Amino acid sequence: MKEAAVRIKFEDVVQRFRIIQERPDTLREAFAKFRRRTSYHDFQALKHVSFRVSEGEMVGIIGRNGSGKSTILKIIAGVYIPTSGGVAVNGSIAPLIELGAGFHHELTGRENILLNGLLLGLSKREILSRESQIIEFAELGDFIDVPVKQYSSGMYMRLAFAIATEVNPDILLIDEILAVGDGEFRRKCFERIEHFRTLGKTILFVSHDLTSIRQFCDRVLLLHGGELIEDGLPDFVISRYEALSAQRVDSLRTQAW
Amino acid sequence: MVELVRDTYRYRELIWALALKELRVRYKRSLLGFFWALLNPALLMIVLTLVFGTIMRFSIDHYAVFLLSVLLPWTFFSQALAYSVDSVVGNGALLKKVYVAKLVFPVAAIVSNIVNFLLSLIPLALLIVLLRFPLHWTWVYLPVPMLGLFLFTQGAAFFFATANVFYRDVSHIVQILLSAWFYFSPIIYSLDFIPEKYRWLFHLNPLLYVLNGFRLSIYYGKLPSLNSCALSLGCGIVALFIGFSIFRRYQNRFIYYI
Repeated sequence: MKEAAVRIKFEDVVQRFRIIQERPDTLREAFAKFRRRTSYHDFQALKHVSFRVSEGEMVGIIGRNGSGKSTILKIIAGVYIPTSGGVAVNGSIAPLIELGAGFHHELTGRENILLNGLLLGLSKREILSRESQIIEFAELGDFIDVPVKQYSSGMYMRLAFAIATEVNPDILLIDEILAVGDGEFRRKCFERIEHFRTLGKTILFVSHDLTSIRQFCDRVLLLHGGELIEDGLPDFVISRYEALSAQRVDSLRTQAW
Repeated sequence: MVELVRDTYRYRELIWALALKELRVRYKRSLLGFFWALLNPALLMIVLTLVFGTIMRFSIDHYAVFLLSVLLPWTFFSQALAYSVDSVVGNGALLKKVYVAKLVFPVAAIVSNIVNFLLSLIPLALLIVLLRFPLHWTWVYLPVPMLGLFLFTQGAAFFFATANVFYRDVSHIVQILLSAWFYFSPIIYSLDFIPEKYRWLFHLNPLLYVLNGFRLSIYYGKLPSLNSCALSLGCGIVALFIGFSIFRRYQNRFIYYI
């Protein structure tokens, strides 16, 4: 049997952010800081993380807030360049990292489809040929010609999801955004995600919704404090996560006593 | 430089869409909409013509045309610069979430202002005809100073947009710099008014040659010397090279400062 091609490869990736207590954003501060010592500390968002994701896999990423989940997606998307380690991404990417990133509030939904599609690397011709499908999937109806600042967060998300998936990327990155859709639209999104998988696409899915993770993912990565502490089948990893959370609640309880 | 040309070409549709977006947002919610791009300079010209044609009389013939021939390119320069200085910081939210070649923002800011500038030449030509001032054949030379001006502005935009990411004061400094630069450039006056011994100082102004080209071909109906022509393009190319090199060198660190 042919081995599935590797789409994403992280090798010993470290992402460090320099958290400067008060970063001199203006020249005056820079001069003032010149004499005093700047206080900063390094924050390691990712500590030697290695994993691979193959074609056709849907991988969930779970972990508490600040454990480095979004940082991984942003590195894959090319927003961050890791401090050290090797990252290889093979294929086109559509990031759904935050609701409506790249939407301009004053522009209408239709104008935003073009702008967002171009930002995702499509050509104008490709976008126009998919426009009607996007509008249909997003169920926006007449709202498509209304400035997006008047959209509800559900409408925002529907349009963003419709664009990102119509772009037909090899890799789809989803960060928590499905949470704002109503039940019916979520079902439609997951249907489409399922369809994506049958096409051999790769999906990375960050969520706190463990039920969806268990239901859809082939594999789950568990992050804790920037370290990848588990990488395996959903049931097993999720139970580890739950145990970890319970432990934390316990320790908080003892502290409170 | 090769990278700049390649990426600008590669992202041309995105740059154009961003530039149109800027223009659309600028004129959104105004009744006359896009028409303001024409009306704005036209109204300015009418005011200037009235002031200098009837109220204050200068020894310079058709002072309004004399002034406008370089005021319009200057307005382009100052608006484009004031605009592009925030182009990277202003799109910070976007840069934090999707990978986009960062150069599209300063380029789009300039492109949108170029559109505005080219539109403003229409009312200028109309005014010239209305004033029965000759519409010199030397207008055909205009693409040369225009190219020099656009290249120079783009280079300055790259530089200041980069600096502004690290120090937000830059956007204020640019405002001050622009007003000082305005009086230092022969816009409201002619270089002939400057005593000979100080004139070398004014020749240090990299925009001088470009402005000179505009005034010569629109107002005087003459062509600049080959030397001046070469300098107007040369300054633009050098500025673009320096500006883009700095931008390129720091662009990967932008994300941590916005």
